[in-house]
Amino acid sequence: MLIFSFFKTLTDQVITVELKNDLCITGTLKSVDQFLNIRLDGIRVEDPERHPHMLAVKNVFIRGSVVRYVRMAARAVDTTLLEDATRREAHNTGK
Amino acid sequence: MLPLALLSAAQGKPMLVELKNGVTFNGHLVDCDNFMNVTLREVYQTSADGERFWKMKEMFIKGNVIKYFRIADAILDQAAEEQEKNRALGRQRGGGRGGRGGGMPGRGGRGGPPRGGQAGRGRGGPGMRGARGGAGAGGPGAGPRQA
Amino acid sequence: MAALDGFRDQLVQVVLYDGRVIVGKLKGNDNFCNLILSDSVEREYSSDKGVEMIPLGLYMIKGDNIALIGQVDEDKDGSLDYSEVMAEPLAEIRY
Repeated sequence: MLIFSFFKTLTDQVITVELKNDLCITGTLKSVDQFLNIRLDGIRVEDPERHPHMLAVKNVFIRGSVVRYVRMAARAVDTTLLEDATRREAHNTGK
Repeated sequence: MLPLALLSAAQGKPMLVELKNGVTFNGHLVDCDNFMNVTLREVYQTSADGERFWKMKEMFIKGNVIKYFRIADAILDQAAEEQEKNRALGRQRGGGRGGRGGGMPGRGGRGGPPRGGQAGRGRGGPGMRGARGGAGAGGPGAGPRQA
Repeated sequence: MAALDGFRDQLVQVVLYDGRVIVGKLKGNDNFCNLILSDSVEREYSSDKGVEMIPLGLYMIKGDNIALIGQVDEDKDGSLDYSEVMAEPLAEIRY
């Protein structure tokens, strides 16, 4: 649940999602759900020469299960808030 | 439209089912359930490399090993019509959703009608008959269970 | 799946776990991400010749082997000459 909430704080930020088929897609995070499925708008693909498959695609829905990494700008993350939330989560699940 | 509504509208119709391991089955849909478990009859099985073929009278495929169904184009319109008809029926009866499903012969027996509540239960799921049929056919019995 | 609502009746490009690319009109979906695609066409990429379009008709794809669903920009798609696009097929999803 923590990671879900964390991704929700990134809504409307530009992020890059690396898939388990090596495709890297950059776009604006529009929504995320409990399965960490990701909706990205206005996408572009890293290295379109090698991966022209998505040239005509503007918005994508990515299944959470195929995501390898999500990259985001360091300034998009409020580290103290995240640390607090992590402690709170650990505390709650410990009980 | 819900994928399950399309699948139940395809009952009795020919279709192609590809499994996650690439094996394909061509046959007529006998029955399906909410897990998309299906039984097919008059089936032609094709190996993943497309080189070998088997024929079977009747068979059962577990829903979770299926990659996709290829269905005749006309079924989509037919399913939409059926859905519209059921919706109109529902309105006439004053919003009698679910609950009554089993009592109406016309709608009850067909496995998974779009909104018929508990309907398809009476037939005990599509499974048993087909599973035995597959084994009886000999060779390809193990086919659909890989992966 | 609420994130897919905006894609209904639109041209979508589905990438499967095995790397196949299928484009069709999204006619329906459910919570498991199972899709109904009408007039679907497989786009087969290869590195030595242009994209091969294979008509498939009505497809119902089970959600568990879908990697990604993209909304196709039809103007952009129409303006691309796919007989000139050459690339390796997408890799399959590796766990």
